Amino acid sequence: MILNYSQPLEISNLSAWLDTTLRSNLSEFWTLLIEFVLVGVLLLAAYAVIALVLIYVERKITAFFQARFGPNRVGQYGLLQSLADMIKILLKEIIHINKVDKFLFYAAPFFMVGASMMTFGAIAFGKGLQAVDFNIGVLYVTAVSSLGIIGVLLAGWSSNNKYSMIGAMRSGAQFVSYELSAGFALMTIVVLSGTMQFSEMIHKQEYCWNIFNGHISSIIAFFIYLISGHAETNRGPFDLPEAESELTAGYHTEYSGLQFGFFYLAEYLNMFIIASIATAVFLGGWMPIQIKGWEAFNQIMNYIPSYVWFFSKTGVLIFFSLWVRWSFPRLRIDQLLNLEWKYLLPINLVNLLVMVILVLTGLTLTDLFPSWF
Amino acid sequence: MSSVSQYFSGLFTGIRSLMKGMSVTWVELWTKKVTAQYPENRDTLVISDRFRCELTMPHDTNNEHACTACGICVMNCPNGTINIVSEMIETADGKKKKILKQYTYDLGMCTFCNLCVVTCPSNALKFENTFENAIFTRSKLVQTLNHEGSKLREKKKETPAPVAE
Amino acid sequence: MENIKKLILNTVSDAVIEDKQKLTVTVEPNKLHLLAKTLRNNADLPFDFLVKLIGTDCGEKLGVTYLLSSSSDLSKEVVLKTGTADRENPLLYSVTDLYETAHFNEREVFALLGIRFINNPDMRKFFLNSDWVGYPLRKDYDANPELNPVSLVSKEMIDVAPRIMETKEGLKEELVNVFEEDDYVINIGPQHPSTHGVMHFRTALDGEIVKKIDVHSGYIHRGIEKLSESLTYPQILHFTDRLDYLSANINRHALCMCVEKAAEIEVPERAQYIRTIMDELNRIDSHLLAWACQTNDLGATTAFIYGMREREIILHIFEKTCGGRLIINQNVIGGVMFDIYDEFQKDVKSFIPYMREKLVEYDKFFSHNVIALGRMINIGNLTKEDAISYAVTGPAGRGSGWSCDIRKHQPYALYDKVDFKEIIRHENDSYARYMNRLDEIEESLKIIEQLIDNIPAGEICAKTKAIIKLPEGEYFQRVEACRGEFGVYIESRGDKTPYRIKFRSPSMALVSAMPLICKGEKISDFIGIGGSMDYVIPDIDR
Repeated sequence: MILNYSQPLEISNLSAWLDTTLRSNLSEFWTLLIEFVLVGVLLLAAYAVIALVLIYVERKITAFFQARFGPNRVGQYGLLQSLADMIKILLKEIIHINKVDKFLFYAAPFFMVGASMMTFGAIAFGKGLQAVDFNIGVLYVTAVSSLGIIGVLLAGWSSNNKYSMIGAMRSGAQFVSYELSAGFALMTIVVLSGTMQFSEMIHKQEYCWNIFNGHISSIIAFFIYLISGHAETNRGPFDLPEAESELTAGYHTEYSGLQFGFFYLAEYLNMFIIASIATAVFLGGWMPIQIKGWEAFNQIMNYIPSYVWFFSKTGVLIFFSLWVRWSFPRLRIDQLLNLEWKYLLPINLVNLLVMVILVLTGLTLTDLFPSWF
Repeated sequence: MSSVSQYFSGLFTGIRSLMKGMSVTWVELWTKKVTAQYPENRDTLVISDRFRCELTMPHDTNNEHACTACGICVMNCPNGTINIVSEMIETADGKKKKILKQYTYDLGMCTFCNLCVVTCPSNALKFENTFENAIFTRSKLVQTLNHEGSKLREKKKETPAPVAE
Repeated sequence: MENIKKLILNTVSDAVIEDKQKLTVTVEPNKLHLLAKTLRNNADLPFDFLVKLIGTDCGEKLGVTYLLSSSSDLSKEVVLKTGTADRENPLLYSVTDLYETAHFNEREVFALLGIRFINNPDMRKFFLNSDWVGYPLRKDYDANPELNPVSLVSKEMIDVAPRIMETKEGLKEELVNVFEEDDYVINIGPQHPSTHGVMHFRTALDGEIVKKIDVHSGYIHRGIEKLSESLTYPQILHFTDRLDYLSANINRHALCMCVEKAAEIEVPERAQYIRTIMDELNRIDSHLLAWACQTNDLGATTAFIYGMREREIILHIFEKTCGGRLIINQNVIGGVMFDIYDEFQKDVKSFIPYMREKLVEYDKFFSHNVIALGRMINIGNLTKEDAISYAVTGPAGRGSGWSCDIRKHQPYALYDKVDFKEIIRHENDSYARYMNRLDEIEESLKIIEQLIDNIPAGEICAKTKAIIKLPEGEYFQRVEACRGEFGVYIESRGDKTPYRIKFRSPSMALVSAMPLICKGEKISDFIGIGGSMDYVIPDIDR
């Protein structure tokens, strides 16, 4: 690895120091236990904090798209607004509804949060900041994130509400369709980089991000992934399961208080997760911009810590997602399925084939110009 | 062949139309926002003079109003917002005269149709643009418009300019 | 019209024909259907547009008045009258088979006057619950609140409709189920974000597809027509603003004109100019809101706020002119209440180019968006025949290729002096209605442009008597409101209060067509179509 410049702001130094200190004083078992608990707590905290920040950012950016100011009453520029909202939602009464299927009704929000939490662990936030790094990371993320749909289906079904039911069924159709596209888009890049492990994939993109490496094919895969990822998170213009103008609130109509909060949290986190996976797979993850040969430039870029790189790349993608969300009307269910089965999937399949050819015939950028990258 | 070209032209016109839409929101993102920031802008806030917020009875500096308690506004009000209590007094020259004792106006009932002001023969009423009328108890919406100890303005006397409330 | 008179006499020889404000024909109840059918099928000039259906309690008789007009020439009108002396069990023949719009109107007459119509397929009460005691519009109605207490318990929805059908054996009373037994019925409304008010659509679904819609209305019925019977004409004016609050000024204009015509009051020219300009501003305001709401119904929240942004400017002009933003109280009998303010012309003139610019932006942002097109083109088809039969007027009717602009057919105020185009499209779908509104904004801007610099000096209001009494008679006035034809009918018996006043609400016709055009569409398009029809509920629940 070439990254051997001084990187004083990197958290990995801190974690390495913590690890050695613990190991020198405690047995293996205790070291691991403490580290596991610490990582777990940190992830949970990050989960909540990222959601709060995202909610604020979304409300603010939405407002600017819509000729408004957005939250500006609680704290300077409304910065404390989402904190206040969180406190409110924590204090709110959970309304117990008589005619619901109790067990499933209460279990559904946990499926949502659980699924996004499990995916969250596999995200590489920065250099050495990754809780779970499987060698089949991409597969794991795809598999685990689709658990969330069970939460949506259960919520809609157990609510004993006709609106919720329609919402849940819509979301089932939507998720099954778009999961396919998202999977294929990721697969295209797996073909390109030859690995499914996130850390390895990121390291391989040091000088050439995957989106450039596979040029045409990668760019198409990137956009398809963004669209289908956007659709998977049930956000406009793909927010059919909750379509407020027709289904009031869709699958979470009957939820209140913290249970609703879980759905809300999971929605924002899913948006973040999709953006961060796209970052890792297409945009080089936490890797700073590096150009072969420009040592001074690389040094400066490296001085910016890796998590800043990660969050800013993710941020750009999230902004893009918001921009799309607030520009378009909602699709109808048949338009939605048309888009997937008539456009995205065929294009995706061809694209995968093209990528295989590119890789086999050595037409990727790294193969064509080995001295540059 | 035509269906293939249709497929692709549909795809590309679709994408183009979406990009156009996104360009509109992009421009709006950077446009200066003009939302009025109430209550911060209370000092600079301009409410149109004609804006009807509550009925008032202008009194001049001598604490005199123009209401003769004739009751035309009461008759004209479509939903019984106004109530007049009058009493008969004897003037100095021995004539009997009806004067206004209490003029009650229920802001909560008013539909701001302006009929009372239009029909008043002595121009005793006016709609003010003071719009901050929200209060916590409904009973406070019932207001007495004539001031304490006020009396009818004599016609012959030169009228001083009404004082703003 | 002589031919029509002949035709009427040929069909019903004992018909009483009078030349009042309109050609009025009084017939026996059993001849009415025949006469209506003949007039409707008259080849030269088919009277196929039922403008108004008015129930009246004439004292000893319960009467029904029909204002018929021809879809090809809206200025041709015939008034049919009939009545029954039976106050216990009044029965008349329905004209629903000739004019679909009669269906809801007859149900309304049943609820408010107790007249039942033979052959109407569904004789539930409109507006009122089936257990309402008494018929409010009858003169002997007992308004004692103990008879109809406010119920705090929820009532079961009754999906069984009574009706009276004429068979060979005579009249047969029967009950029919509105829905099939295993229908998946959802309640869209009365509390729903996209019904544009407290409207209740009981909707049977087959998956995502709408199978049948049953309309329930009356959740905010205020009994304005009943209230008006005890108020003077200037007092009634403030109710008209509260019917269709988005075309407040136009509604008020209609009632003012109706009274002015009856009392023979000459309106000063300056007032006419102000009225026309304000009407058109009001129309732009309403169409902007309609545009905004429709985009919101289709899920584009951002567009909604853009519409509101432009509307704010108009509301600001209203506020400065007459002290109100929504309920603007501008027209009074004889003229207008407030003269324009000093900067009015400047404000309006700066608004016109701004609005034009924004129309281009709307086009760019939404009108050609591929998702929006897919959700509007070929959705909610309303053919011209159906539009006429359901009396769907306004931008929606003109989207079905029916020239139904009262401003062209029966010009009032200054509409015969200005040059504007009647926007007609033949696509019949949501998109035609949508585009019609945007184009009408442009036409309204043109009208304003022609008038704004030429406002003559002079009085703004004619001198009227302190108490306005209308001479005995029946008076009609039709105007083009933002959602279609708005009409006023006043029956006066020479008092300062009307004997019967009836408002024709365009929204009711729009809603009555909803079950027809939404059948077979997706549920999300049901909402979109609702947006394209753009009904306002207080207009229906008068």
